[in-house]
Amino acid sequence: MAKTYDYLFKLLLIGDSGVGKTCLLFRFSEDAFNTTFISTIGIDFKIRTIELDGKKIKLQIWDTAGQERFRTITTAYYRGAMGIMLVYDITNEKSFDNIKNWIRNIEEHASSDVERMILGNKCDMNDKRQVSKEKGEKLAIDYGIKFLETSAKSSINVEEAFFTLARDIMTKLNRKMNDSSSASASGPVKITENRSKKSSFFRCALL
Amino acid sequence: MAAPGSEMETAAAAGLEELVCARGRNRKAVLCQRCGSRVLLPGAAVFARRELFLPSMKKKTALVANSDPDGDVLQDHWLVNDMFSFENVGFTKDVGNIKFLICADCEIGPIGWHCLDDKKSFYVALDRVSHE
Repeated sequence: MAKTYDYLFKLLLIGDSGVGKTCLLFRFSEDAFNTTFISTIGIDFKIRTIELDGKKIKLQIWDTAGQERFRTITTAYYRGAMGIMLVYDITNEKSFDNIKNWIRNIEEHASSDVERMILGNKCDMNDKRQVSKEKGEKLAIDYGIKFLETSAKSSINVEEAFFTLARDIMTKLNRKMNDSSSASASGPVKITENRSKKSSFFRCALL
Repeated sequence: MAAPGSEMETAAAAGLEELVCARGRNRKAVLCQRCGSRVLLPGAAVFARRELFLPSMKKKTALVANSDPDGDVLQDHWLVNDMFSFENVGFTKDVGNIKFLICADCEIGPIGWHCLDDKKSFYVALDRVSHE
């Protein structure tokens, strides 16, 4: 069957354990029904389809699957990632301080042009807040990364976060493609390059 | 196996005709039974018969060590050969060489089955989804 989408983006959720990454795994409906069976084995990744500017985009979203407990995430996990959500818990200062370490980890292991975004999760729990919104914003500005406070529980900004990240990746891709097609002589070669890159991502994304 | 021409089989066949088009594809969109999340668009899958065991979708089902979970052997499935044909779906971690498919939104499941030995086959059980 013909390909029914325009873009395919692999996204990762990264942050300390307990910050609610799994809940952020792009769940729009408030009440998850984890059966005992499903919660015992755990979720590996999800595929979501969104539409942006009339383009159909498939998102493949991965959770770290507990690897973060070891404080390092291997290069294999980062392979092919085009976007990363850095998640902390606004009621846990340590998880916020660790965002810097996670950024360093990304710089070491992920592709250098990966799009990043910082999320302060659990913003529905204001009474237990340890990290101010301003602090989150400042960190994001320091690194030149976008920032949102989210609540997976109350479905605040979750959808918006993923749309924003997807849009940034799409903008970057389009810019790259325009750059390569405007380079007159090497134009066709570059297009082929892009294509092979895309298919290799596709292959490694397959199970 | 039901006897050929039995009443039950005729009823099931009539139901299938409503769901499967002449080219063997799904006539209707495939949705989550619980929250209505869109799993497959119309025409995205082909009808396939294969006996597959899916653990129960009920909450009480416990996965006790060394004991098999409750579940059903299901025969009628929607078969997809590219995982990105799905609109929205979740994959569990590996259970042996199997990954189970769940609803991406409310996470109910398993609604389907994927064997890591066959990278081009993803099954969604007709009994575990609704059609619209």
